[in-house]
Amino acid sequence: MATTIEQSEKTKAEPELIGLLAEFDDPQALIDASVKVRDAGYRNWDTHTPFPLHGIDEAMGIKFTILPWIVAACGLTGGTIAVGMQYWMNAVDYPFMISGKPLFSLPACIPIIFELSVLLAAFGAFFGMLGLNQLPKLYNPLFKSDAFRRVTNDRFFISMDASDAKFSEIDSGEFLNSLNPISVEECWSDVSSPKLPRNLVLALSLVGVIMLLPPALVAYKRSTTTNTPRIHIIPDMDFQPSLKAQNTTNLFPDGREIRPSIKGAIPRGQFKDDNIPFYYGLKELPEDQDVVVIALQDEKKTDAKKEDAKKPADAKPAPVDAAAEAAKKLDKLPWVTEFPMPVTEKMMARGKERFRIYCSVCHGLSGDGDGLVSLRAMELLQGTWVKPASYHTDNVRKLPIGRLFHTISNGVRKMPGYSAQIPPEDRWAIVLYLKALQKSRNTDANTLKDDEKSKLRDTK
Amino acid sequence: MASVTTKPIDTTTIEVPGQRAPLVLGSPDYGTVTESVCRLAECKTPMSFYVALGISASLMGMLFGLIGYLIITGVGVWGNRSPVFWGWPIVNFVFWVGIGHAGTLISAILFLFRQNWRTGINRAAEAMTIFAVICAGVFPGIHIGRVWLAYWLFPIPNQMEMWPNFRSPLLWDVFAVSTYATVSLLFWYMGMIPDLATLRDRATGKIQQFAYGLFSLGWNGSSRHWHRYERAYLLLAALAAPLVLSVHTIVSFDFAVSQLPGWHTTIFPPYFVAGAVFSGFAMVLTLMIPARSICGIQDLLTDRHLENMTKVIIATGSMVGYAYAMEFFVAWYSGNRYETFAFINRAFGPYAWAYWIMVSCNVISPQLFWIKKIRTTPWMIFVVCIFVNIGMWFERFVITVTSLSRDFLPSSWGYFKPTIVDVLMLIGSFGLFLTLFLLFCKFLPMVAMAEVKSVMPRPGGQGDH
Repeated sequence: MATTIEQSEKTKAEPELIGLLAEFDDPQALIDASVKVRDAGYRNWDTHTPFPLHGIDEAMGIKFTILPWIVAACGLTGGTIAVGMQYWMNAVDYPFMISGKPLFSLPACIPIIFELSVLLAAFGAFFGMLGLNQLPKLYNPLFKSDAFRRVTNDRFFISMDASDAKFSEIDSGEFLNSLNPISVEECWSDVSSPKLPRNLVLALSLVGVIMLLPPALVAYKRSTTTNTPRIHIIPDMDFQPSLKAQNTTNLFPDGREIRPSIKGAIPRGQFKDDNIPFYYGLKELPEDQDVVVIALQDEKKTDAKKEDAKKPADAKPAPVDAAAEAAKKLDKLPWVTEFPMPVTEKMMARGKERFRIYCSVCHGLSGDGDGLVSLRAMELLQGTWVKPASYHTDNVRKLPIGRLFHTISNGVRKMPGYSAQIPPEDRWAIVLYLKALQKSRNTDANTLKDDEKSKLRDTK
Repeated sequence: MASVTTKPIDTTTIEVPGQRAPLVLGSPDYGTVTESVCRLAECKTPMSFYVALGISASLMGMLFGLIGYLIITGVGVWGNRSPVFWGWPIVNFVFWVGIGHAGTLISAILFLFRQNWRTGINRAAEAMTIFAVICAGVFPGIHIGRVWLAYWLFPIPNQMEMWPNFRSPLLWDVFAVSTYATVSLLFWYMGMIPDLATLRDRATGKIQQFAYGLFSLGWNGSSRHWHRYERAYLLLAALAAPLVLSVHTIVSFDFAVSQLPGWHTTIFPPYFVAGAVFSGFAMVLTLMIPARSICGIQDLLTDRHLENMTKVIIATGSMVGYAYAMEFFVAWYSGNRYETFAFINRAFGPYAWAYWIMVSCNVISPQLFWIKKIRTTPWMIFVVCIFVNIGMWFERFVITVTSLSRDFLPSSWGYFKPTIVDVLMLIGSFGLFLTLFLLFCKFLPMVAMAEVKSVMPRPGGQGDH
């Protein structure tokens, strides 16, 4: 006997007998032989045929496969997934509201239930068959036999595994020979190196490394920042040739991308001519509709000139008469003297609130022209500052309410127009509050009722 | 070799009562079956193959080039204009999906009906099915405009947190066509595993040995494996049979579930399925008649096979003709003026030329198969089948375009004109189809050898079934 080391080398180097292979050339002979092998009590054996041979199942005693149950289970799983998926996706996670129909109804789900059941059942049949047959199994010692190559062509084989309890090299070989095969062949285990060829290993590792590149690149990009704009692999609508407001174009003769509104066009919500007193503070628009605006512009221009005139010493005296001219023009307009809407307590409260927000900072809480902004400007000796008018002078007190509304809307001297910030109904409310402020300084106590007097007395 | 012949070689190719024509002609021997099928993959490739492949691959290249042009430019390169937004791309889709019905029908339904004659043609028909479905899949894929968003068709979790609408027939269509493509592929591949093993065992080149070895998954013909394999095949057939019927039913839902006159009819599902089988069988014959003589497999794919298929064509062609007539009857009987108009417009309106091409190709030409002479002469079958293919394309054109171009509102009526891109894409899709089919003929077993062997008479005359 050899030493232990030699033994281990021996098991490595020497192939072992792993089975016997008997070849037949006639299907019927194979079936007849199979019956005998089965009856002899062998268990680990098989027959190999180029096509499914009918009658071989009984001859070999093959039990019926459980595959149909696998297929049924897969089919049921598919159907269940389909119902669950459609219910969850369309009725729970992202409900589709379509003409008040119920979120979920079975009839509409049937096509997809059917399709997914068939799909999974087909997977069950195909992969179940492969799994039960233990395929793919690319290496098989039987493939070493040259004769066995004809198993897929026109020959029939019985293979007997050496692991069978009844198997013995000599007895089983004799037994197989007694079945009248063309030949009986021994199958030996493979002793060639199980290592993959060097080139294949290299090629596979190269492919593996290349396949790792995209995820590595993605991971790198995800974890770093960059100053360059992102790459638009698919631009979709990221870059559009549409025109933008501040750019130039040669599409239009005036070279602007923004288009001015067409003369006579009224923007949505800007139609005012149906309620002239409410929007303009005028009983009716003058024939020359622009007079309001022009007068205003003249007034402002004069202001501006006045200011310019103050700086350079040699400047011409300002044309003061232009301002007076403009004011005269405005005086002539038919200002309303009645509020163009019902006057309520609520409107007064609203007017007070708006007045304190927008007007009091300059005009002061009681309208004396002593708001904090104004006081601060005077303190800093701001040369261009024009002190806001007090509401309590005779001139202002006499102004018709339409004119007051006009002033709030369009401004006067240094004061800007507030039509952009304050909606017309609020401007009227402010006018109302302003009138109330004026009245509070200029009322004969005798005209008040007794309860009003006592109320005033109680107010601190 | 087991080439014992007990009776004189039967060369009958035509069915006569009382005597079945044999499924395989010549000397019925397992080895010769293997030889005649494998020869194609093993012999030196003839020049004609390269010429044919060159032509069809150029057409395929043109299709891909045009798809690139379409993607870069936009769907405006097609003739799809208001009101016909479903122009040629959808016509082509329905046409190809319809053709893709024959293969699985032959494999599955004829298998379940124990029609053993299917074994000669099923492999090629299945391959044709898969290639037709690939052609069909291209068109809706590119029809969506922004193809990089095609994944929106599937319920994939996405950053928009949206899901597709499962009540839309278009989504059912996505599921139906992709399931059909997958199951057909499995069915085809599974049927091919034993035959790939045959090619593996005969292969001499290293590359062939590796490739066929890989794809035959180590098949060794074990009877225990065959047992489960046959069970799986039967189950797949049982699953694929209703699937075939469902696919074109659901394609017809794309039309029938909408409310357009001429589309909104309940006859559509059976009518579409009959039309699909009709066109599919015609396409199988169109391909197989030249292929069987070029490849020299007339013994496996006999005149009897051709004749049986022409009978299916008469049956389905008559069903289609009946459906055309019934559509008119229903349009009149319903009393719906829009429906009535849609059909009068179809037959006598601006597309009357297309309608009458369709009727003459689909209804009249298959009736020629009642004549036995035509049914048994391959070149005559071929000519009729070409007409059927043309007719079935026009059927889809008529359905899609006539209804869309004139719907409820006369002010939005229009006349559809295809662009050159439309036409070239249809031609290109044939290039794709033929390229795949030629590669299949060259590299894969064109006839199901194992199945043919199992229906051949056994040596010694025993066990024939």
